[in-house]
Amino acid sequence: MATYPQNFRFGEFVGSLIWLIFWILIIVTLVGLPLLFIILFYVPLPPIGDEVLTPYLFLTMIVDPSRTIPIIQYLMTTDLFRVALFPGFTYAALIAAVTIFVERKFLAKMQLRVGPLYAGKIEGILQLVADGLKLISKEIIVPSGADKVLFWAAPIMFVSTAAAVVALIPVAPGWVVADIDVGLLAVFAILGFFPLIALLFSWASNSKYPFIGGMRALHQMIAFEIPFILSALSVVILSGTLNLTGIVDAQLQSYWFIFFVPISAFVFYISSLAELERIPFDLPEAESEIVAGWLTETSGMIYGLIQLGSYVKTYALAALFVVLFLGGWAGPMVFPPEVHAPIIDISPIYDPVAANATLWFTLKTFGMILLLLLPRGISPRIRIDILLHTGWYKLIVLAFINMFIALALIYGGILGPGGLLVR
Amino acid sequence: MSSNKEEPKKPVPASSSPPSKPSTTTTAKPPAKPAPPATAKPPATAAAKPVPAAPSPKKEPEPPAFEKGLADQVKKRFGESIKVVFIRPLRIKIQVDPKDTVEVATFLRDTMGFDHAESVAGTDYPKENQIEVIYHLGSYTREDLAAHVLSLTTRTNRDDAHLPTLINVYKSVEYHERETFEMLGVYFEGHPRNDRFLLPEDWADIPPLRKDFRIKGR
Amino acid sequence: MTSLEDKFEESKKLGLQIVKESEEDRLMTLSVGPQHPGSGHFRITIKVDGDYIVYCDPDPGYVHRGEEKMCEYRNVIQNIPHLERPVIHDSNNITYSYSLAVEELVGIEVPRRGQFIRAIASELNRQVYTLYWLAIYGIFLGHSTMFMWPTGDRELFIDLLEALTGARVTHAYNIPGGVRNDMPDGFKDRCMRQVRYFEKRLKEYEDIFYNNPLFRQRTEGVAVLSKEDAIKLGVTGSVVRASGIPYDIRKAEPYDIYNEIDFKVQYMKTGDCFARSYVPFLDMKESCHIIEQLLDKMPQSGEVRAKLQPNPKGPPGEAYRRVESGRGALGYYIVSDGTPKPYRVKISVGSFRNMLALPYLLVGQKLADMPAVYWSLNYWPVEADR
Repeated sequence: MATYPQNFRFGEFVGSLIWLIFWILIIVTLVGLPLLFIILFYVPLPPIGDEVLTPYLFLTMIVDPSRTIPIIQYLMTTDLFRVALFPGFTYAALIAAVTIFVERKFLAKMQLRVGPLYAGKIEGILQLVADGLKLISKEIIVPSGADKVLFWAAPIMFVSTAAAVVALIPVAPGWVVADIDVGLLAVFAILGFFPLIALLFSWASNSKYPFIGGMRALHQMIAFEIPFILSALSVVILSGTLNLTGIVDAQLQSYWFIFFVPISAFVFYISSLAELERIPFDLPEAESEIVAGWLTETSGMIYGLIQLGSYVKTYALAALFVVLFLGGWAGPMVFPPEVHAPIIDISPIYDPVAANATLWFTLKTFGMILLLLLPRGISPRIRIDILLHTGWYKLIVLAFINMFIALALIYGGILGPGGLLVR
Repeated sequence: MSSNKEEPKKPVPASSSPPSKPSTTTTAKPPAKPAPPATAKPPATAAAKPVPAAPSPKKEPEPPAFEKGLADQVKKRFGESIKVVFIRPLRIKIQVDPKDTVEVATFLRDTMGFDHAESVAGTDYPKENQIEVIYHLGSYTREDLAAHVLSLTTRTNRDDAHLPTLINVYKSVEYHERETFEMLGVYFEGHPRNDRFLLPEDWADIPPLRKDFRIKGR
Repeated sequence: MTSLEDKFEESKKLGLQIVKESEEDRLMTLSVGPQHPGSGHFRITIKVDGDYIVYCDPDPGYVHRGEEKMCEYRNVIQNIPHLERPVIHDSNNITYSYSLAVEELVGIEVPRRGQFIRAIASELNRQVYTLYWLAIYGIFLGHSTMFMWPTGDRELFIDLLEALTGARVTHAYNIPGGVRNDMPDGFKDRCMRQVRYFEKRLKEYEDIFYNNPLFRQRTEGVAVLSKEDAIKLGVTGSVVRASGIPYDIRKAEPYDIYNEIDFKVQYMKTGDCFARSYVPFLDMKESCHIIEQLLDKMPQSGEVRAKLQPNPKGPPGEAYRRVESGRGALGYYIVSDGTPKPYRVKISVGSFRNMLALPYLLVGQKLADMPAVYWSLNYWPVEADR
């Protein structure tokens, strides 16, 4: 970065300012204002005082901020809000970002070091922004002989699939992007797509180490999907429905399912470690054996997308664990029924039930994510034959054990409709 | 089996090693040292290096008894085909002709107990037009030989350097002989791979450890 | 190649379902090359059949700098700084052996305090090297905590060595005749304190790494090197001690004042990867005791270096001295022809000897065991290349 600065000329400075103002004017008048008008014409606005809220009146929100409340209230009912903001992609991405930072700091403390420290004023908060900028600015190198379509498509598929799993997880009652009656089955169907993406991408890389890594990824993910599904099956038996919101409701009526089927929770936890390719199951990406496994040929933003997808998947599986075993959003009510804000009246958009649910769900998910991050500091990497042995023999047996316990609980009348422990 | 082998279980005590003081060297360590192996302080006297034959013991101290016993054992078996170059505390050096190396090495390994070769070195003597290859042999199995290193050397002509390989006797010389081949140009007959080992693939000069190879700029 | 019908006939006779085209088609050649996180400055060419390694060929020489040739151009004291470059973080041991051989050739006697300080520096360096080896072993197995902890604890010893010699690595401290300078004030107490702290840390290492069931599963029973094979292959150092032969040069042929120190040779009998990774750990524990004894027995004052004339030379002769370094027996064979510059210097390093075990052990193992086996042989590529 050692370039000599040009000599300062006042004329050029004024010229650049005018250029900037020119472009702001163009964009605002040609793009911004029409966009604003189109939105405002299609949004039903309540009257303010005696007059209908026209777009011009809306622009007076600069003075009176409470005029934005109806807009937000309408937006919260649209699908776009749910998909893009909450509980959809932005929420998941924010949690993923916080996860990445917490992981680095958490591991650093365990390993007698400090982690990111210099990016950002407080303890390296902006490290993720710095990493993102770095990845965006790197050149993406496509190996010769690589299958270009698959090479570019695979990371996008990865992120989309991870986001699709996020779309099925309910965060608060009524707050789910896609409320499907067979939600749990849909989750597993989507999760079954990941080994295929890994294999396609490693094949498209046209290189030996990714090939080995892709085969390992395939073996690993397929081996652990069966205990995954079987352990979730115990929960389905206990709650009687495949709908994720229904499962949480069943837990709200009795106690958290982890007390009834703890072995299944354990099997689910191990299987999600394997699905996420986290240590000790990070064989497909074993650094010292096969360079970087199926991610060897990724560079720049492709690597960034895959990492983002991986952490979004972490959030999704941790949230799934919370929904299935830890009671979803159950928790004591800590929000007051009405809240009085000083300037703005936010009662139209304030929903204490949803806020409370979100708070408890986020806390539980975060605890679960920490538990998923923990083995990285403790264990070495496992070997493929031990992994397959564990996945195919031991975990399936454990899952079956708990399924029988769950069946016993239902038939014994302890849970289920009219059971003893149903509140 | 000569009876010398049953003699001291530990190598000879230090007191016997430098009884007479040759002129140039200082000998016995300060008396704080208890018995075992005096770390060969003494000589660089007899067995002058550049003279291959005739160990001329002008000022050589009495060779230690245990090592003498070992050397006598080899001499009894092979007689005149070997030359004992020097016998020092814990170090014996014998020289053989290239045609006898395999036989002598087999005898050393099976009967005397030197079961592995620690290293193989080649030295270039352009003045005598010879290259000397020296095998340092050690013993893991016999405790009384644990500190001893027997050096087995052969000499070959510099212009047409080839020697029989000892790989069938001592497996551990495989990479050492390969390195000697590429560094000095000595061809080992019978070695499975007389190949380039440490030098770069595009090495196009004479073997570097020869004396006529000069490092550029020095 | 027979026709397809013949092949079907043959496979039916053998009861096989799949007809193999040829053996070579199934094999994939991987170059675990110098640009690989699992190899260091060293290349191993391996051929894999599925997950099993069927052929292995080590290819060293990437860091060959001609140490032995360079020694012939400098006098015996000038050789010290470049001779410690093969192992920069274990430099006190690689120059120790050289100094002993030169002292034998020239006929120098090292003062007693100098011998003690030399031994202390050598033991501290052994800890530094073994901790580095342990850290890399952890990361090869994917255990990042086992990479960070030894690297952090190594700083203690590097700081001690920096106070003693002036440099963190490549100390250039051992010279023929003794050591370059005396200990600073307060070094003895500081050293004792840090060694005692380190002994407590070693217990934590054992808990998190050696008693970790996953680590044990990965290394126990893998790549067993039997006692006979170890002797035949001529391996040295912790590898030979892990196969049941208690051979340590400090006990077998004590140099300097090691015959006054009371310690036990650590060895194990099983000869698998776990034994080869546990023996250096036991060596580290023993080394702590040795350092404490050395610090206690050291004379309080005295010279640390014998007086040498400039360009020291001795009568023509040869010498072969060995020292126990972190990787095994490090031997120097020096031939002198009466001039100040040595005629021939041959360095026999433990890594070069242990490299022979690599093809014998790797064939038949799974690909995932490759880093575990390779690094358990205590192989430092730069030293093997000299």
